[in-house]
Formats: sequence, structure tokens, C-alpha cells
Amino acid sequence: MTTAPKPGTTPPRGATILGEETRGDFETKHMRINVGPQHPSTHGVLRLVVDLDGEEIAALSPRIGYLHTGFEKTMEHRTYQQGVTYSNRMDYLHAFGHDLAYVLSVEKLMDAKVPERAQRIRVILTELNRIASHLVFFGTGLLDMGALTPFFYGMRERERILDIFEMVTGVRMNYGYFRVGGLSKDLPDGFEAAVREFLNDMPKAIEQYNKLFEKNDIWVSRTKGVGVVSRETALEVGLTGPSARASGLNLDFRKAQPYSGYEDYTFDTITFEEGDAYQRFRIRMLEMEQSLNIVRQALDRLEPGPVKDPDRRISLPPREELESSMEAVIFHFKLVTEGFHPPRGEVYVPTESARGELGYYLVSDGGSMPYRVKARVPSLINLQALEPTCVGGLFADMVVNIATLDPVMGDVDK
Amino acid sequence: MSALKDAAVAHLETLGGQTSESFGQTHVTLPAAQIREAITYLRKAGYEQLSDIFGIDYQGDPEHQGARFHVVYNLYAINEGERLMLRVAVQDGESIPSITPQWTAAGFMEREVYDMFGIEFDGHPDLRKLITPEDLDGFPLRKDFPIGESPTLFGDGRFLDPATFRAGMLGQDQGRTGWVGGARKGVTSEQTEPASDTGGDA
Repeated sequence: MTTAPKPGTTPPRGATILGEETRGDFETKHMRINVGPQHPSTHGVLRLVVDLDGEEIAALSPRIGYLHTGFEKTMEHRTYQQGVTYSNRMDYLHAFGHDLAYVLSVEKLMDAKVPERAQRIRVILTELNRIASHLVFFGTGLLDMGALTPFFYGMRERERILDIFEMVTGVRMNYGYFRVGGLSKDLPDGFEAAVREFLNDMPKAIEQYNKLFEKNDIWVSRTKGVGVVSRETALEVGLTGPSARASGLNLDFRKAQPYSGYEDYTFDTITFEEGDAYQRFRIRMLEMEQSLNIVRQALDRLEPGPVKDPDRRISLPPREELESSMEAVIFHFKLVTEGFHPPRGEVYVPTESARGELGYYLVSDGGSMPYRVKARVPSLINLQALEPTCVGGLFADMVVNIATLDPVMGDVDK
Repeated sequence: MSALKDAAVAHLETLGGQTSESFGQTHVTLPAAQIREAITYLRKAGYEQLSDIFGIDYQGDPEHQGARFHVVYNLYAINEGERLMLRVAVQDGESIPSITPQWTAAGFMEREVYDMFGIEFDGHPDLRKLITPEDLDGFPLRKDFPIGESPTLFGDGRFLDPATFRAGMLGQDQGRTGWVGGARKGVTSEQTEPASDTGGDA
């Protein structure tokens, strides 16, 4: 069984590769193999260079950047409002989470007042997206361990969530629905009914998922005690999100520093002590139920009202005003061509994405485009936990560790 | 301001730190030489999580004074819910002591700063580029890095020239990138010419 080495005891990367060692009468050599970047169990284009001592992993080094898109640089050359186009393309599985993190930072710069209805809708969509993201985790995670069926079950419910998103935004991914100061438009008719129907069916589906794997001997023996991350190691490598909470780190920014009205909703932050793959897996299944709770509460409190900040510095004037008001035309023209100018300063608003702490650090120089955009993406930093979880363990467990750390490569490479 | 933050700021000021505020967030600017000591102190004091390390290039910002680059250390105290931004100002070519030996979490973060800004970290056990290819010349997030239609230079003289690249894609040219475009699929340059309008007589 795997034991996590203490931080600092693993050999420095690139130092003892192919080092020879004598064991009994046999001369053994480490074998270096390359995993990925195009391998189904690496969840995208993660490439790992692994040194094997028989079946055991002696050293491991992630090589990333295959999906680097230069979003941060591009966002420096677009107006603040246009940044929404890029933010959701980073973590394509929890796109609303990225959109929300970005607009929250800009709203802090602009001191925007987001109407209550817009905040509730944001929470509903972000939490539904979190469920969809965890469903992909559930499906592909078990797929990596050899279970084919759960993938289809997970995708079945995810499809319903994507249908709801398509109804609201018109697309199934890369939504770009949030705007600085609110939303691009109000919800369509039938949204509430669709979400309520989903809320009714989902608990039964989760029950079904749990039946599929929870008592499965193979799953239990492949995850229990595998890839243990202690609370200390989690802090040492900077782990956040569900993976860190499975290691006993009580850190959830929805509770610690509430945003978008998360303080109004009752939900539990689930933590476990063991920190193994088993608990990292279960915690996401339980978090789906908490997300359903939040969606239910937000939907109950959803009341008619505006979905945009009425402030003309930020939001476009309503369409009908353009026909009668010269001033509205001027505001419209200025916002579309030039955008707004936040005051000089630097902001950072942490949020809780499906993968961990996510926040956009924005530097404003007073212009209409951000001077510097830095996305603090959880997947990249969580990937540092791969070395302590895998080294000393079996090669086959590496796949389990990648799956349960749940990286999204768009979120890693940016 | 909590007691933790007050104590931390007071201690950092004895190390030569200068405190500033931006949108309610406390920033402390430190001399580069003090960063290891400051991080050791803050980690013990309760700033248990290193959220991020990133660089900012202020070249071209007329209102900015001092060194060209800032490297920001984003620290979070989990129990108190307090965040502290530690900043180090460096000139082009200067390096910063690495904190990776004392805090593993900094490993990727410092590599990313090195990759994107070319700021070196002394004592980092494995200071390689993190994201961009090994043979890319220059540091993409510097303000003087060319974007858009400018050719992107690689180490061995190879470069991506947009016009040549497009010609290669259309099969009109071999392309200096080695991308053969239409020719690879057996489409000759004659075939990629726009078909002449034969009219609607038939």
C-alpha cells in the first residue's frame, strides 16, 4: 500500500534518474517511461515522466503546457467586459465558476451593485455546473479504474444540466453569460420548471451512482489507503478544494469569505481526515448533494427583478431607450467601443471552484483594459500533490491519484 | 484588521517592509533579501497557505515608480480568514532568493514566474520553464513581448511568421514552419485557386 513520503524526502527531480542500485544479488535499474500527453487516463494532455523501480514509482515529474493558450496575455488586450469570453475557456468543466471569479474581481474594481436576482441566478448556475463537473469526475474516475458503466450514468445527468445551460445561454460550453454588473439577459421561460424537475430526479440518481461503486470490492481496494495526503502535506504543496478537504483541511471560500450571497444559504462543508483516494472520491459525491441544497434554496428565493446593475458606467442601456434618447446612444457607443475605466488599483477575490481556490488578480492602471490578469487556478497548484501521492506507490495507483486530484488541463496550462 | 495581521505587518516593517493598501487588501513591499525570513515568520505566525506567486511587469505604466517587476506572494491564514500580499520589487536581470526549499508549494509558482517574466530564483532546485516550449525565446508576459501579427521567435532562428504561416495553410507555399498545409492532403496549389465563375447558363 502507498505511503506518502514526508515532504522533502523525495529525491530532487532530475537528479537520480537511471541511478543504479544493488538489491541482493541482482543489479536493478530504474526504468524511465513516458505517460501521455495523449493518453485517456491523463484527463487531457497531462504528460508525466515516471521512473519505475519494478512496479513502484521512484520519481515522477509532470510536464505541462500542451494546452497553453495565453489567456492572461490576451485578456490584457481586451476590455474588461470582453474578458468573460476567455475566463470560461480555462476550466471548461466548471466554466461558470471561472466566469463568476472574473466578474467578481472586476465588480470589486468598479464597485458595482449586482441585483439580488442576478446573484441568485449566478449561484444556481455555478452550483449546477459544479454538479456537472463532479459528474465528469465520477464517470471518468471510475472509467480509469476499469468500470465502464458509471460513465454513461454520469453523462446522462450531466446532459440534463447542459440542456438547462443551453436553454439559458444558447451554448453547451464556454457560456459567457455573466456580465460585469449582472447577467447578459434574464432567464428564459421554463427554466425554473426544468431545474425543479432536475432537483427532484438528481437525489435518486446519486443513490444509483452510490450503488454502482460504493460497495464494489475492486473499487474499495483500489482506492482505500491509496495516495494518502496528510493535512501537513496538503498545506506544504498548496492543495485546495475537495481534495484538500478530504485531508482534513477545512477550507471552503463559499463559507470562509462568502461572495454572491452564499452566506444566505445553509450547506455543510464536508471534511474527512484520511486524505486517501477513497475519501477524495466520496467527498465529491457528497458535495453534489450540498450543491443541490444550495440550488434548491436559491431557486426558492428567486424573485422577479432586474438582472443588471442600472449603473450606466457599466451596463448597456436597455434597447428601447436607444430609439428615443441620444444620451443612451452615447453611453452604448462608449461602452461597446471603449469600455469602462476602473480606478487604479489591484484586487483579488477568492472563490471556490469545483477544484479549489480560484481567483483573478487584476491590476488596473485606470485604462479600459486590465493591465495585468493573473488567474490563480486550482488545477495547476493541486498538481503538485501528484508527486507526494504517487512516489513510492504502484504504477497502477498513479491513474487513481490523477483521477481523484481531478485536474482539468485547460485550468493547468491557461 | 485582525491581531494576526497587525502583528505580521509590524514584524515585516522591522525587516524593511513598506505597507500599502489597495481596495481593502494589505500589501507589504519587502527587500528581496528578506523574503525567506519573512515567509518563515509568516508561516509560523498562521499564514499557513501559500495561494500563489506571480509577477507583474510595470514597464510602460507612467505612474509606476521603482523597479520594473513586482513579484507578489499571496498568503492566506486559514483559521483567521486573513490574506496578505507580500511584494518584492526587482529590476530586469536581478534575482530573488527562492522559497521552494522551505515551501514545496512555491515550486510550480516560481517556475511560472521564471517562464513568463524571466525573473530567476536563487536556490530553486529545478528552475525550468513550466509552460512554454523550451525553444521559445523571450518571456511572454513581459509588456515588450510581441503579440498579434508580429513573428514569434524561437531559439534556433525558426520563427512563426503569420503571413508565411497562412500561405502554408492554403498550400500556396511550403511555409517556413514546416507545415505543408494543403499539399499534405494531396491538394496542389492549382486546386486551391478559387474556381472561376462559369455562370449560370446550364
